[in-house]
Amino acid sequence: MSSTPAEPLVRLRNIKKTFFRGKEPVRVLDGLSLDVPAGSFEALMGPSGSGKSTLLNLIAGLDRPTEGEVVVGNKTISAMSESELARWRADNVGFVFQSFNLIPVMTAEQNVELPLLLTKLSKSERLQRARTALKVVGLADRVDHYPRQLSGGQEQRVAIARAIVNDPRIIIADEPTGDLDRQSADDVLTLLGRLNTELGKTIFMVTHDPAAAERATTRRRLNKGVLE
Amino acid sequence: MTLTQFAALNLRRNPLRTLLTVTGVAVAVVAFLMLRTVVWAYNVAAEAAVPDRMVTRHKVTFIMPLPKRYIDEVRATPGVKDATWASWWGGREPNHPTDFFATLAVDPDTYFRVTDEMVVDPADLQAWKEDRQGAIVGDMLAKKFGWKKGDTVRLESQFFDGLYEFHVTGFYTATRKTVDRQTFIFHWAYLNEKVPADARETIGWIVSRTDGNPTEIGRKVDAMFDVKDVQTISQDEATFNRSFLAGFSAILAAINVVSIVILLIMMMILGNTVAMGVRERTAEYGVLRAIGFLPRHVVTLVLSEAATLGLAGGALGLALAYPIVELGIGRFVEENLAGFFPYFRISEGNALAGFVLALCLAGVAAIIPAVQAGRLKVIEALRRIA
Repeated sequence: MSSTPAEPLVRLRNIKKTFFRGKEPVRVLDGLSLDVPAGSFEALMGPSGSGKSTLLNLIAGLDRPTEGEVVVGNKTISAMSESELARWRADNVGFVFQSFNLIPVMTAEQNVELPLLLTKLSKSERLQRARTALKVVGLADRVDHYPRQLSGGQEQRVAIARAIVNDPRIIIADEPTGDLDRQSADDVLTLLGRLNTELGKTIFMVTHDPAAAERATTRRRLNKGVLE
Repeated sequence: MTLTQFAALNLRRNPLRTLLTVTGVAVAVVAFLMLRTVVWAYNVAAEAAVPDRMVTRHKVTFIMPLPKRYIDEVRATPGVKDATWASWWGGREPNHPTDFFATLAVDPDTYFRVTDEMVVDPADLQAWKEDRQGAIVGDMLAKKFGWKKGDTVRLESQFFDGLYEFHVTGFYTATRKTVDRQTFIFHWAYLNEKVPADARETIGWIVSRTDGNPTEIGRKVDAMFDVKDVQTISQDEATFNRSFLAGFSAILAAINVVSIVILLIMMMILGNTVAMGVRERTAEYGVLRAIGFLPRHVVTLVLSEAATLGLAGGALGLALAYPIVELGIGRFVEENLAGFFPYFRISEGNALAGFVLALCLAGVAAIIPAVQAGRLKVIEALRRIA
């Protein structure tokens, strides 16, 4: 376990989230409160339907709670509009998905450059930052490769480079090793660990894999919308 | 990389689909340009009239003749600087009865003076005037039938019995492209002496050069003949040409409708392609939205992709249409249907319209899929990944 900084980066207060299946309400999160310090590496575990992804979406600003408050840094993101949330995500959150979700017609460098299209950086600055991000994940020699020319592990590292290229405070990783073999999964988890320890990124990782969860500094378990 | 370049890259995902769509748009543009060129070529002759020229014809219909004596009265009308006449003979080459070309019986002394857009070598013109059976032939018609100066040509008429013998004394060319260069022109006097008695001393129409106000002078001419046995209608040349072509207006309207239908088909091809792409990439749009792209960025992306398809299809369509018309259909039409289409080429206006419409309709076709992609809920789109 890492040391706990005094000031929490993410604060969730009495979060309730209800979805509707037809006309029937389904409560996924039920009064959840959570403080996560900056620089934490959080593993969220739990059975399917426990609310892990919903919690992740709320922290990432992809969704808003039915009730309660989500504060990240000094911003109450649960009160933001859709477009405010989009801008906030662009500046503060990097995403890593289970199936990588790279754009197949773009090179590794272009994929990593993608989030920077929303910034005012010049083309040369964008490319420089994309190359730096690829260097950080150990793929400096793969800038011109297309996703189909990369292994699964390499694809996920490109996705991680895309997640860190705009230097976000938070990285959201939804089953980042779910589609990888053990060796590649280890590499990816090591890389996430380095981003956490060396660059101070706060990481939220949903996983079903206990071995992956072991690499996190904090493990939390959700069951029926409540943290155990 | 920009959003537009991103959109262009997206077209590489399914090269076959992109190729088929671009080809479909190109074929539609070619078809559109062909049809628009038919309409344009029909109208261009009317629009290319000489402003001071006036045409006087029978009031009832173009095909009814005027008394030949009318020419003197027209020439005497104040404002008329020069006048000539012509009669439609309906001639054809007996060995090629289906090859249409115009045959006009005219006044040799004045005809080429009034219709000065038709150019004849002065020596040939003089020789023609002196030969009662002489004929001045459009250079393209002469080339088509292999007629040379000094040849004797025998033609038959749709209206009068027997073969008429002519001597090719010269050729005419034209100062502008819209002039039919496949007309056969001979002496009215030769015709007049051979036709039945009841058809003699009649002419088809009178063409006058005026001092610049053909409409006003035409009113005076018509008023003058109102009290005579045959009434006339006089029009400036552009109006006359348009009224001559008015008989084809239903065909032109039908062609216009077909060209619009072709554009609609093109729009549906594009719309379908874009919609398929959007459907397949729903998860990807979810990722883009997650990393901060706004709905308007996604809309721009989809519209740019459609515009790129339209642009490529429009450009390919133009690239195909020009050689097809310039080297193929246009030449064929000008050689074989010069009476209707003396100049059958793609106008700059039509080319621009074809290209711009391909681009704009691509945008219109993509509006619905683009808006749907823009309205996509991030969470729902990302669920597609799962």
